[in-house]
Amino acid sequence: MTNGKDPYVVLGVSHGATEEEVKAAYKELVKKYHPDQYQNNPLQDVASEKMAEVNEAYDEIINRIRNGEYASYQSTSNYFDSARVRELIQTGNITEADNILSSVDPARRDAEWHFLKGSVAYKRGWFNEAYDHFTQAHNINPNNAEYAAALNQLGSQRGGNMNGMPSGYYQNQSHDACSCCCDLMCMDACCECMGGDLIPCC
Amino acid sequence: MFGYIRAYKPYMRMFEYEIYKSIYCGICKDMHRRFGFMTRMTLTYDSAFLALIDLSVRGKKLKVRGERCIAHPWKKSMCAACGSDLSFASSVSVLLTYHKLRDDIADSGFKKKLIAYALLPFFKKAYKRACVKYADLSDRISEAMKMQTALEADKSAGIDAACEPTALMMQAVFGEIGTNKREKALLARFGYCLGRFVYITDALDDLKKDIEQGGYNPLIIYMRSHDIQWDGQGWFPKQIRELCDATVNMSLGQLADCYVALDMQRFRDILDNIVYLGLKYTYNQVKTEKFNKRNKVRKGTTEL
Repeated sequence: MTNGKDPYVVLGVSHGATEEEVKAAYKELVKKYHPDQYQNNPLQDVASEKMAEVNEAYDEIINRIRNGEYASYQSTSNYFDSARVRELIQTGNITEADNILSSVDPARRDAEWHFLKGSVAYKRGWFNEAYDHFTQAHNINPNNAEYAAALNQLGSQRGGNMNGMPSGYYQNQSHDACSCCCDLMCMDACCECMGGDLIPCC
Repeated sequence: MFGYIRAYKPYMRMFEYEIYKSIYCGICKDMHRRFGFMTRMTLTYDSAFLALIDLSVRGKKLKVRGERCIAHPWKKSMCAACGSDLSFASSVSVLLTYHKLRDDIADSGFKKKLIAYALLPFFKKAYKRACVKYADLSDRISEAMKMQTALEADKSAGIDAACEPTALMMQAVFGEIGTNKREKALLARFGYCLGRFVYITDALDDLKKDIEQGGYNPLIIYMRSHDIQWDGQGWFPKQIRELCDATVNMSLGQLADCYVALDMQRFRDILDNIVYLGLKYTYNQVKTEKFNKRNKVRKGTTEL
């Protein structure tokens, strides 16, 4: 994160901006702040600082766009490097991520910590622990959509929901009057082929 | 294995049931051929499920023919023939049983120990033969068994940690099946969830016995840490039922996610039946104490 500043504000684009819009905004800013323009100018330091900020914000936003929609409302913590932990979880380096999380002082474990701890447990297959942590994250910060989504997904499975259950497993669907008539007509046709007759009137 | 993974029969079509049974029968014969007579006595329907997944994922053909069976010598029943390769399921069955026997000898009551001592010689040779092809898998199973022993000695593990050894074991078994990296990963996760399901169901099934005899059970540890008083009479306490429901449901929910992603076509209806109906049905049977390991109705209870 760019020194706590919102990267979207730094680039001056909206949160829903597309990749093209971000690139265009970035080009504009590079033209404006490029250090070459400020040679032998007292503003040189300020400009290069600004340039670094813009670069960082640009990388951040492009990453978010490319990593899918989840990242666009990614939240962070003030107490540990949550972006790093997220990256570790995403690349499957669970042990390392867990080590970082465990080293956080218990008094400073915020919603983000619980969410990430839950994610680690989830990846590992420890669903009971994952559910508890997601619940805590959601309780501490009920407004965060990411925490709510995680809790919601596991919660629905906890209630007995199973993905991909074939429809009509618990009720027999094909027993309406229409299909019954169809069956009879078929049967009649078959009987007639064989020389018999099931329904004499047709 | 454990006998908790089986189909829900009332919702099976006749031909599906025939295939299911023929695979069970085929594994039994395959075990006899490959590993000797005694090993086939320990076969359960779990292995039939494993074989179904194996055949489905690898796209092997199933050949069936009528054969006489040692349990029902007077009639010919449909049996998966040697053309359809069931060696994986039978080898895994032998590997798991061997490690289970070793485990029984190490830490269980007198009766079980005796049975294990009696059976072990038959499995020694079979185990070595199975190890030739699946040495890596065998190592991972024995590792999981060691982990289990350590957990039982420790007596403080939470539910997730207690499930871990069995889950890892099943993860190793199912991970072996996949033909590419993606399938292997999905099947490994599938196995992990299935292992969790099996372990927690088993724990609930054994709870009364363990309370009586003072054996190790993660649910007893949970009861102690949450101050749940229960003397092992009557229904399971509400908290225990809720805990098991949640664990089983979450494991099965995740298992279903992997199952959907795998999108297996062959034997789909049978697999659907086991995954979506059979597992939950078994668990409910265990919860209401109507479950019978040999698939018979318990005395004094009515099914349906």
